[in-house]
Amino acid sequence: MSKKLIELNDISKSFGDLLVLDHFNLYINENEFVTLLGPSGCGKTTLLRLIGGFESPDEGSIIFDGNIINDLEPHERMINTCFQKYALFPHLNVFDNIAFGLKIKKLPKDEIVSRVTQTLKLVKLEGFEERSVSTLSGGQQQRVAIARAIVNRPKVLLLDEPLGALDLKLRQEMQYELKEMQRQLGITFIYVTHDQEEALTMSDTIVIMNEGKILQIGKPEDIYNEPGNQFVANFIGESNILDGIMKEDFLVEINGKPFQCVDQGFSANEQVEVVIRPEDFEFCDPDATHLVGVVDSLLFKGVHYEINVIVEGREYTIHTTKYRAIGDTVGLSVEPQNIHIMRKSKS
Amino acid sequence: MKRLTRMQIPYRVWMFLFIVIPTLILFVLALTNMNLYQIGAFDLTLDHFAIFSKNEIGIAFWNSFFYSSITTLICFLIGYPVAYYLSTLPNKTRKILVSLMIVPLWSNMLLRIVAWEKVFTADSYFTDLTGISLNLIGTQTAVVIGLVAMYLPFMIFPIFSVLEKMDRSLHEASKDLGATDFQTFVRVTFPLSSSGVISGVIMTMLPAMTSFVLPARLGLGTISLIGNVIESKFMKEVLGSSGMSINEGAVLSLFIMVLSVAAFMMITRVDKEGETLI
Repeated sequence: MSKKLIELNDISKSFGDLLVLDHFNLYINENEFVTLLGPSGCGKTTLLRLIGGFESPDEGSIIFDGNIINDLEPHERMINTCFQKYALFPHLNVFDNIAFGLKIKKLPKDEIVSRVTQTLKLVKLEGFEERSVSTLSGGQQQRVAIARAIVNRPKVLLLDEPLGALDLKLRQEMQYELKEMQRQLGITFIYVTHDQEEALTMSDTIVIMNEGKILQIGKPEDIYNEPGNQFVANFIGESNILDGIMKEDFLVEINGKPFQCVDQGFSANEQVEVVIRPEDFEFCDPDATHLVGVVDSLLFKGVHYEINVIVEGREYTIHTTKYRAIGDTVGLSVEPQNIHIMRKSKS
Repeated sequence: MKRLTRMQIPYRVWMFLFIVIPTLILFVLALTNMNLYQIGAFDLTLDHFAIFSKNEIGIAFWNSFFYSSITTLICFLIGYPVAYYLSTLPNKTRKILVSLMIVPLWSNMLLRIVAWEKVFTADSYFTDLTGISLNLIGTQTAVVIGLVAMYLPFMIFPIFSVLEKMDRSLHEASKDLGATDFQTFVRVTFPLSSSGVISGVIMTMLPAMTSFVLPARLGLGTISLIGNVIESKFMKEVLGSSGMSINEGAVLSLFIMVLSVAAFMMITRVDKEGETLI
């Protein structure tokens, strides 16, 4: 399919005694929206800084468009960054901030003006040319920061938690706009975030990282539906993770009760972990199911209720639009395709 | 609130005694023919302003301007790189170096001047120790070196404090957008440190302009700055020699005061939070 644009081969990086990236391998395709997702301190920002040229790897090579770029200075790379706290130049107005890179390249004046104007239109900030950046709102500063990067027509745009400082509503709007922008411009976006919802909304590919290693790479749907291990299952959305025993192909035993599932290829009686998403539970007649419990708590979350049901001493979290009062006895059912089996993580 | 108001009283008394009253006395001396030792009836007069037409005053002002400008320029040329270097150091080293610069400021200024005087004298302990004879005493060079040594920290600190607080990510953003280190300095770092530079220039230039002990000692009295003139005007009066000289001294002092206030207003305009002031 698409061409590989960036390859990271066996990258290691430590700060002092702290190993931040541990023999890291990843490739990124042209025109891909890749999200590096992980908790703070997982090495995702360091990875971004390595690609941007602000750090150099201790081991391994970074290949961009077929060339090793380990030792290239940031200004020699066809990569631009949108910084976490925007890093707009406070002494320049909006126009001069955006034109900064073009002026460095000594482009003709009329071309600078037309490209800046065009970019301002793209980020919906027409007429803001003369404004001082300090008078802009967070969302507007964010747009200027993006404009300042994409006006240089980089092959890759690095974004380091760019929406972290915005409020929820604005963040959702910007997620949509960023995705649109990426589609229009045909630039590879490498996006760093710890917000799983953001990652699921925007990405073509999600890279889940923890402690300097990749835990899982895949499309948002695959990562959500088929988490590779307990960490991923917990990190991406809420999950009920249960102990189970694989009786045979397509049959798993949970709490000593058999459940149909769609997984195969496990050895008989293998200990496994079973992931069931809270929204995959349905209420049903208590006589028709193995899962019967009592409603323990109830939270109204807007779109749905979050209900905790105690079944045989274990708590199950359920997201449902149906109301059940605390103390009600309920039956729970799950469709076989919503029962996801994982091998036990070796710890 | 009331308690706070009461706590202002000592401060207000202090301000009144040592700032308001002396300033009023300066005004009275400058604008009247009052004799400080025979306070009685006096008349308003602008006669003392005639002092500005005197040749020696013109020379003294020119000297003040000339020496303070050279001093400021040299301090800037040395101070900016030093401040820049300091701001790039790791925290610990930086603290040590900054305190190494502050500690000498706590020693008496006169003592430091006398030390320079000894160093510049042809036959001094400095010569005995190093074998180098710097026979510079009484020259322009000695005065300029002395002034630079005295006021360099006042250039370094304001610039350093601006550079230290500067967001490192701005440098990265500039390099990310294609600028080399040098272009980053010219287009980002220096413009953003200009408030520190202006504070530094004013804080170096003003005291250098009005210094009088240093040019007197290191210049052996051959180089007269405006401060020396004011001092001599006041001293003559104290020694009881000539008639109206203290009034002329007051006129010159007021003039310098106006300059200082103007300079201060300029600093507060470029640096509203006063973060570059020490």
